[in-house]
Amino acid sequence: MSETKAKKKGISKKTLIIIIAAVLVVAVAVWAILTFAVPEKEAETIKIGHIAPMTGALAAYGTAVNNAVELAISEINADGGLLGKQIELITKDNQADPAETVSAFNALLGEDVAAIIGAVRSACTSAITGLANDEKIVLITATSTADAITEEDNYVFRSCYKDSFQGRMVAAFCAQQGWTKVGILYTVGDAYSTGLRDSFLSAAEELGLEIVEEQSTSDILAVDFSSQLTTLASADIDVLFAPYYYDTVGPKIIPQAREAGYDGPIVGADGFDGTESVTVGDLSVYENVFFTNHYSPEDTSEIVQNFVSAYNAKYDPASLNALAALAYDAMNMLAQAIETADSIDHDAIREAMVGMHYVGVTGDMTLDETGTPAKSVSILTFKVVDDALVQSFVATAQ
Amino acid sequence: MTDFLQQVIVGLRIGSIYALIALGYTMVYGIIRLINFAHGEFIMVGGYTLFFTIPIFTDSFGLPAWLGVFVAIVVCAIVGILSELLAYRPVRKKGNRMTALITAIGMSLLLQNIAQAIPAMGPNPRVIAEDIFQAGSLDILGITTNRTAIFTIVIAAFVMIGLQLFIQKTKLGRAMRSVSENKAASTLVGINVNRTIVITFAIGAGLAAVGALMYCAQYRTVTNTMGSLLGLKAFVAAVLGGIGVIPGAMLGGMLIGLIEALVTAYISSSLANALVFLVLIIVLLLKPAGIMGKNVGEKV
Repeated sequence: MSETKAKKKGISKKTLIIIIAAVLVVAVAVWAILTFAVPEKEAETIKIGHIAPMTGALAAYGTAVNNAVELAISEINADGGLLGKQIELITKDNQADPAETVSAFNALLGEDVAAIIGAVRSACTSAITGLANDEKIVLITATSTADAITEEDNYVFRSCYKDSFQGRMVAAFCAQQGWTKVGILYTVGDAYSTGLRDSFLSAAEELGLEIVEEQSTSDILAVDFSSQLTTLASADIDVLFAPYYYDTVGPKIIPQAREAGYDGPIVGADGFDGTESVTVGDLSVYENVFFTNHYSPEDTSEIVQNFVSAYNAKYDPASLNALAALAYDAMNMLAQAIETADSIDHDAIREAMVGMHYVGVTGDMTLDETGTPAKSVSILTFKVVDDALVQSFVATAQ
Repeated sequence: MTDFLQQVIVGLRIGSIYALIALGYTMVYGIIRLINFAHGEFIMVGGYTLFFTIPIFTDSFGLPAWLGVFVAIVVCAIVGILSELLAYRPVRKKGNRMTALITAIGMSLLLQNIAQAIPAMGPNPRVIAEDIFQAGSLDILGITTNRTAIFTIVIAAFVMIGLQLFIQKTKLGRAMRSVSENKAASTLVGINVNRTIVITFAIGAGLAAVGALMYCAQYRTVTNTMGSLLGLKAFVAAVLGGIGVIPGAMLGGMLIGLIEALVTAYISSSLANALVFLVLIIVLLLKPAGIMGKNVGEKV
């Protein structure tokens, strides 16, 4: 065998140590320069953080609420700003996912925002309420209706009613319509759905409604409801209660229910808002569907019509929904709190939010000790107009 | 009794979709011993193709929506052939089965994320508004069902019978069978092994496109992750029936669909998915070759 010189593979140990040491020294030097040499500028704007599902299954909600918050901010800025400063909106996309919501929350903390609006879906907001209280920053959700979100007197507030109220209103509507035999389809894996089902059940008992059949899916991503709907269709029910979001209700639950042979009324909660954007096939399947919501665009009061025209002037009118109205109110409530507190200190803002009375697009509301407003609910239905589905006002309930 | 029969029809409908997809898994495994994890993503590609082509057929030409499936079959076949040529064949030449498996997983993730990144497809779910089969419920002998379920089961049955005839009676089918039995010997008798493999991928992907049509007819939304759970369950179906055995894939698919529907209806929906995967574990423990599989063993 011929002699081969042993070739040294790679860098020697000594060289490696020198390289690492050099990199460390440079890193420390750069950090020191950035932290100490660059003087801290006093903030010229008031930053408000917003967490919303800009992409993903609930994107219709995210776009609407972000537009509304932007609209509120542009109106305030045009009017001279807040405490003399312009408001800057920082929006983070959470894709309606709880884990992403936590990342978005931490990112906003890093940007030093005065307060945070968000999230849309109850399961996502629940993921950050604990964090908001730990970090002592005001979190106001415009749209998360799950009861558990505001349970104590702390940093979490909302501009919408909660599900125990909403579920009760749906039950009251069923009782009022004479639909006493109820079938329920809900998902076990989601706070919104189970919360509504629970509050519907407790109200049903008082109102004399009978739950004839109850079926469930295991998580919010389920697509197939045929087995459950087949069972519900064969049961003798006057009405089907299905607390889901529009992305499931529109393409899946309502068409599948009609195909399973169920032609009766279907009721839901504010999650049905947006179904008109994801309809499939023959639109007549969407008739005889009712749901509770936060306001009606047909409301003729000045404050509602001003909001509707301002939104439609700036954004696509097809994107306007009740959640936008709630978000608009939420941003204005924050602005009112900051004005009253005359500061952007987190605790001062919180003090000003407690027990706040505010008159907004979605009603006259006073925040209770947990941070949830007492307000009224609108009941809407769908009508087929010119080959499209539109929402139509039925009644208000208190 | 009618309730039970209705649930059985639901199960057969779900099972037909799984069977069509499981066929793709089983054919590819039979011929190159590779579990193509990207097969679920072929369904996704088929779904998006339908999302783009169905409006063109219905709105611009006034033709029935299901004609879109022919375009989907072509697109899926192209994607299948490309994955084989660009990803699997080079790895097969140089690497071993483990690297091929990892490549398949990588291809799956790649396709999922490309779909998420392309704005036209995008991360938001897309809704197919047009009816593929006429909507509305049907009453047959007292059982309530719908046209989608009937068409799914019938079309899947025809496709599977057609495939079985193709495999048994045609020269190409014979070539596929011989390549799966012994690659070296096939080359010796003059079969172009590479071409046969490519055709197998094309057929498997084409079947996935038909599965995608059935899925879209029922569920109406396409997202970039729609293939993952579907593909996984179809893989369980293929293993249950006997991976590498074509009738096994059909049987496995139907069984898994029935298990899912009946467990959801009579026990609990949360348990349905768990039980499907439990079936996989039990099959692998008791009879790894599957119901119709033959344990041939390694020829030394």
